[in-house]
Amino acid sequence: MRSSVVAMVLGLVLAIGTPITWALTRPDATAGTTVEQAIDAPSPSAVPPSPAPSAAPSPSGAVPPTVPALDLPPVPIRDAAPTVAAPVPPPVRLSLPAQGVTAPLDAVGVSPDGQMELPEDVDRVGWYRFGPVPGDDGSAVLAGHVDDREQGLGALAPLRTTEVGDVVVVTGATGAETRWQVVSRELITKQVLPLDSIFNREGPPRLVLITCGGPFIPELRSYRDNVVVVAEPLP
Amino acid sequence: MNKTRPIALTAGATGAFALLFAATPALADSHTATVSVLHAIPETPVDVYANGEELIADFMPGTLAGPLTLPGGEYDLTVYPAGADPETAEVAVSLDDVEIPAGADATVVAHLTEAGAPELTPFVNDTSAVPAGEGRLTVRHVAAAPAVDVRAGGEVIIDGLVNPNEESVTVPAGSVSADVVVAGTDTVAIGPADVTVAEGANTIVYAWGSADAGYELATQTVQAGASAPTGVPGGSAGLAADEGMPAPLVGLTVAGLAGAAFAGRKYATSRV
Repeated sequence: MRSSVVAMVLGLVLAIGTPITWALTRPDATAGTTVEQAIDAPSPSAVPPSPAPSAAPSPSGAVPPTVPALDLPPVPIRDAAPTVAAPVPPPVRLSLPAQGVTAPLDAVGVSPDGQMELPEDVDRVGWYRFGPVPGDDGSAVLAGHVDDREQGLGALAPLRTTEVGDVVVVTGATGAETRWQVVSRELITKQVLPLDSIFNREGPPRLVLITCGGPFIPELRSYRDNVVVVAEPLP
Repeated sequence: MNKTRPIALTAGATGAFALLFAATPALADSHTATVSVLHAIPETPVDVYANGEELIADFMPGTLAGPLTLPGGEYDLTVYPAGADPETAEVAVSLDDVEIPAGADATVVAHLTEAGAPELTPFVNDTSAVPAGEGRLTVRHVAAAPAVDVRAGGEVIIDGLVNPNEESVTVPAGSVSADVVVAGTDTVAIGPADVTVAEGANTIVYAWGSADAGYELATQTVQAGASAPTGVPGGSAGLAADEGMPAPLVGLTVAGLAGAAFAGRKYATSRV
């Protein structure tokens, strides 16, 4: 009789303990701050914007219809003949030493369906060419397929194991490297991905790495989530 | 393809035509406007005065001044031949009470009418957002010439444009070979010239000049609201998926539950 009590307790411990232990030991879906905070936060060196000069605003806040006094700065003048802008040299290689990832980069744009275009080859990673070059102001976006039915796992598959502080290196067209440090990793459902933050063209320089993750939905042949990693420039 | 209706306006030395801009894009700064000035009257260097003060000196044809940040309000614009004394010189062209609403992005163009008379025309630059990967191409006819068609890569994208009207289309960003032809014909009037349509921007092309001085293109690029792509795809095989609990662990859990139930039942029956 005593033995059956022990067996019952043991059975319950097993039944409750197994799922809890499994849940506690699996890797975290997120690391560091949230993606949006990481992108929008000013760099330590950033100077706060000085307050806009306000020359005696009218009480109503409306602009008086009178002829405004002009306080004219020198006017920049340029030739207006059409010029073809020199193309920006694209970055060529991405590497995450801690994850053993090295992948060539392709300049990509927008697919006909409006999503970011990605290289077909899962061993290559796309650089969003309408956004900044890594290192320029704004958020430079690099993204790649996490896997493919024929090609297997992609170069960015280990992205979900990055930790805060991991180093990311991007090699530019001239061979010059920019070095970055991961500040955020987040698993975000695709429907609520903060696209305007991720593709922000202004603000401090950020590197954003994206692939797919979370549960796979076979009916849609797609993952539910995006893995998003944000890195800040290393001095 | 979206088309914007032009703001037609007659400039007169005496007329006080209050110009209300059709659209006032909401910008962060509620008190200032962004203004550029294009000089598109051939062979005539000028000085431009705003409210009696010299704004641009020795302004050469085919050049663009600005962008200037000016307080919103009404401006009297006067253009004199370059170097002339405004006290005594004859006014080349002027436009009074040009209303520049705060928050607007505008370009004032000094140009010739279809008949060849000097005129000042203010245009509002459309800075509304374009889809990711695309750019807005705006063409403004400010040349002393009849109606024209605009072609990109040999295909007509804007037809029947007359002075001083404008028309806009949204096209994939990139370089296009553009030319201007006499409306309804293949007679090339200007070009072809390579024009870069910037992504997330409004690339404005001006057809200007006269039959005597020749016709040319001028360009201006104004930032429009850039858009983000609608998403990021990223995998089709499920190899990297977060799985549920692995089968052996599920088995262990079930075994524990079964064991507990069996032992509990045995305990209950043994007490009877």
